[in-house]
Parts: sequence; C-alpha cells; structure tokens
Amino acid sequence: MPAMESDAIRALLEQAFPRADRIDVEDRTGGGDHFQVTVVSAAFDGLSLIDQHRRVNDALAAPFADGSIHELRIKTKGTG
Amino acid sequence: MKTLNEQISEVISEEPVTLFMKGTPQMVMCGNSQRALQALHAAGAPVTTVDILPDPRIRQELSAISGWPTIPQVFVKGELLGGADITEELVESGELQRKLDDALGADRSQDVKVVSLELI
Repeated sequence: MPAMESDAIRALLEQAFPRADRIDVEDRTGGGDHFQVTVVSAAFDGLSLIDQHRRVNDALAAPFADGSIHELRIKTKGTG
Repeated sequence: MKTLNEQISEVISEEPVTLFMKGTPQMVMCGNSQRALQALHAAGAPVTTVDILPDPRIRQELSAISGWPTIPQVFVKGELLGGADITEELVESGELQRKLDDALGADRSQDVKVVSLELI
C-alpha cells in the first residue's frame, strides 16, 4: 500500500473546499496511512453531519480506493 | 438462499441498531469498531453486530448499499448514522440518546446480538 503525505491529503481537501476557513490534516501514526482531518467550511452549512462527512469522504475517494488511506478520522463544522 | 446484499439489507431494516464492525463484541479487531461499540453502549443502545471480516464481499456489498467507504458503520432504524466519529459526536451531544428515545423508547432493551451472514 502506498503511503501518503499529509500535504497530498490537504491538497485534495483544498480542491474540494476552496473557501474553507480551516483545513487541518494530521498523520496520526507518522506512517502515512492513518489521518485525522478537520474541515471548517460554509459548504457544510445546513448539511447533516453524515452529509458533511460524505463530502469529505468523496473528496478523498481516490486515496481510499487505492488503499493509501487505511484509516480516516473526520471532524467537520459549518460556519453558520 | 438469500444473496449477501439481501441479507445485509434485511439486517439493516429489521434490527433497531446495527453495527457493521471488524470482529465481534467479544473480540473487537479494530480500534474504530471499538469506539463505535463503546459509544453505542454509552448511549444505552441495543446493538446488533455483523462482523465484516469473514469475507471481503460483505464490506463491498455493504458499502454499495450505504455509499459509505469505511468500517465501522452504524445504522439506526434502517438509516445510516455514520462511522465511529459521527457516532461518538452524536453520543457526546446527546443527540443519539434522543433519537433512540424517540425510536425505541427510554426503557429500551440494551441487548447485544451477533448476526452471522450466510456465505456461499
């Protein structure tokens, strides 16, 4: 399984949420496959928590599909 | 015999709270499955668990049904609640307890049940 840099995850999230107030990516184990991401964006306003997480999962679908993300913890917040 | 897809859909729609996890409550094989299970216990939920590890097709079929890529997955009354992060967040805020109170009543059972899928 290819490991992934936090910066590559961040780039995908920035692409999906260009006007986010905050995007944090933490490599939880240093191994490049367990990540904690935090996204605060107006794009989440009015969405249920599950739909907010779906947006993040969608943004990271490629590294999920090829197995480079083994575990992802997600924290999302709207701005409203 | 029912297909895997039919079996999974049946568990989701028939059980009040279903947790698709790695392992069983007696032998949890993944930290996130453990987090989800603990959060459900803390919320006083009855939990029906399905182990996805016996066959990779279980996870494939489940994700095709739910549109959710990761394990664990928690369903309440047939509806996807989310993974471990959302379950923990909704228990901390008290929202899941309220949802369960509404759906199952405050004096609900807190039984833990393990369902095995039939694999061909």
